Amino acid sequence: MKSGSNLEKILAAGHFAFTGELGPPRGSNVEHVKEKAQHLVGRVDAVNITDNQTAMVRMSSWAASLLVNELGLEPNYQMVCRDRNRLAMQADILGASALGIRNMLCLSGDHQMFGDHPNAKGVFDIDSIQLINAVKQMRDEGKFLSGEEIDGPPKLFIGAAANPFADPFEWRVHRLAKKVEAGVDFVQTQCVYNMEKMREWVKQSVDMGLTEKVYILPGITPMKSVGMAKYMKSKVPGIEVPDEVIKRLQGAEKGKVAEEGIKIACEQIEEFKEMKGVAGVHLMAIEWEHRVPEIAERAGMLPRPIVE
Amino acid sequence: MVKAKRKPLEEIAEAISTYGKVLTVGCGGCVSVCLAGGQREVYELNAELELTFKESGTSKQLGNYTVERQCNMDLIQEMDDIAEGYDCILSMACGAGVQLMAERYPDKPVFPAVNTVCIGVDRNLGMYEEKCRACGECVLAYTGGICPVTRCAKGLFNGPCGGTNNGMCEVSQDVPCAWVEIYERLKGQNRLDDILKLQSVMQWQNQLQRTVVQPKYEKRYYK
Amino acid sequence: MFKKNTAGVDTDLIKKRLDSRKAKMKLSLAACAHCTLCAESCFLFNARDNDPTYMPSYKFINSIGVLYKKKGMVDRAALQDIRDVVWDRCVLCTRCYCPFGIDIPEMIAFARTICREQGVFPDFEKEQKHAG
Repeated sequence: MKSGSNLEKILAAGHFAFTGELGPPRGSNVEHVKEKAQHLVGRVDAVNITDNQTAMVRMSSWAASLLVNELGLEPNYQMVCRDRNRLAMQADILGASALGIRNMLCLSGDHQMFGDHPNAKGVFDIDSIQLINAVKQMRDEGKFLSGEEIDGPPKLFIGAAANPFADPFEWRVHRLAKKVEAGVDFVQTQCVYNMEKMREWVKQSVDMGLTEKVYILPGITPMKSVGMAKYMKSKVPGIEVPDEVIKRLQGAEKGKVAEEGIKIACEQIEEFKEMKGVAGVHLMAIEWEHRVPEIAERAGMLPRPIVE
Repeated sequence: MVKAKRKPLEEIAEAISTYGKVLTVGCGGCVSVCLAGGQREVYELNAELELTFKESGTSKQLGNYTVERQCNMDLIQEMDDIAEGYDCILSMACGAGVQLMAERYPDKPVFPAVNTVCIGVDRNLGMYEEKCRACGECVLAYTGGICPVTRCAKGLFNGPCGGTNNGMCEVSQDVPCAWVEIYERLKGQNRLDDILKLQSVMQWQNQLQRTVVQPKYEKRYYK
Repeated sequence: MFKKNTAGVDTDLIKKRLDSRKAKMKLSLAACAHCTLCAESCFLFNARDNDPTYMPSYKFINSIGVLYKKKGMVDRAALQDIRDVVWDRCVLCTRCYCPFGIDIPEMIAFARTICREQGVFPDFEKEQKHAG
């Protein structure tokens, strides 16, 4: 075991993994974290704790990670390259590991201009692929980026994001290959709606032998409304929403659009369970944590396996 | 060359408001070329200031002079006699010129009249585009002559990120994605291998003030 | 005496400027032995295929030298000719070398100062229009 995290054990045992997401509050309100977390405990193998998501200041991801850890929910600690340099990153990695965090997700981060401090100085000292490589070096070689020895290397299961839908499409699998070469253990993808493209990307990954080295967890976000689908299609860079998905939602009975959204998500999950090269799914139910138990149940993800 | 943009008139007027005799000094170098701080802009600025102070009933003596290059002490020194007669200096040079001017006349307040924007190229008349951040560790060899430090919003060395949007950057539909351009150019040159390799972390060279001494002159300056 | 058309030129001011550095100017002009060593150190001269009009000595003789010889009695056309020499053919990189120690960049900068004072200087807007 590289980290001994629950997520690593689940994946190593060959179970179909199921991860969730939780955004820390815009304040020090612990109750808020607890409220969201209670819906997820026992229903996901690990939960991503976002790091100043969409460049808005929030409770730090390592602090929220520790909070959910105490609640019996395994955190997947996210870290973005936007807000800290290589010293702060390595320090936080050591701290997180020391306090029992076992999964980590390495991201570039949304540009600061999207957030509530648009004129902040973006750090971007190193990029996400270099961060993956840094964590791997720290864990496996026990060395800092400087090459100096670490007294007690961190134990972390290294994750990253992948977006099969951003262009150029033909480059996407090569970028995954770079992340694999850098030392990533698992990737969670951007929200998938275009299944055709997703199948193609997974197939390319299998053909290149990448899925032997990395666990792929496609991202699933159920649509709550037609408006949300249209917004994601036109306004969110890197997300592709085919017209059929919008048509299906539009065709749903009044008051049943969200229901249709969940149905689509469950169908996707069913397909991914059978897809070669896919090791689980990552459910991003944005501000919809209370619906996770229902979605997990209907997608046949419960009960979650326990691996000792 | 260095590209600059004049500060708003109000900000300049505010900076010099308490001084009676003001010498506006242009620079014949880069800021002349980008139409921000050359002799012509000195005339324009002084005319605008004249009007502003006249309207507010303030009496002000505005002088003008243009140094060939404010980044060279020998060339600044030519205005020693002129500077003597003024209470403060309004420099229209880039940040380097303003500082050398302030060094030359340490007893005199020196104010910047332009914001130094970047090292860039002439795109069109009056339109300039940033191209280089002077990071001191040029990577253009493997990025197809397109600088990721300057042009990628996240300064990625292993791009493009997941935010590319039909060849544009996630920050704006008007900003082309540098990494898509890098990819396309290298693909066209059959050089994609250059970016298949992992690029390890940057050794930033611009974290301390730098002094350039060319190899031929090392003996002269370093013992 | 032949009267030149010097309208729009403050010849008295030019004369005053010239007088302020008369000694150095006179010595510099007299000292030039046309040895062409300065040419070799000029990157523009090299880049322009050894065009003699890019020789540093040529540039200072055909700018400050003209003003000195005519004691400032020049017309605008002459100043514009000087402008083309001291701006278009010299970037004041200050790297030119003279074995006699003539400060050529200082002389060219001096010519530029005099031109500027008479309102003769490059129009970068016009140049970029042509380039675009």
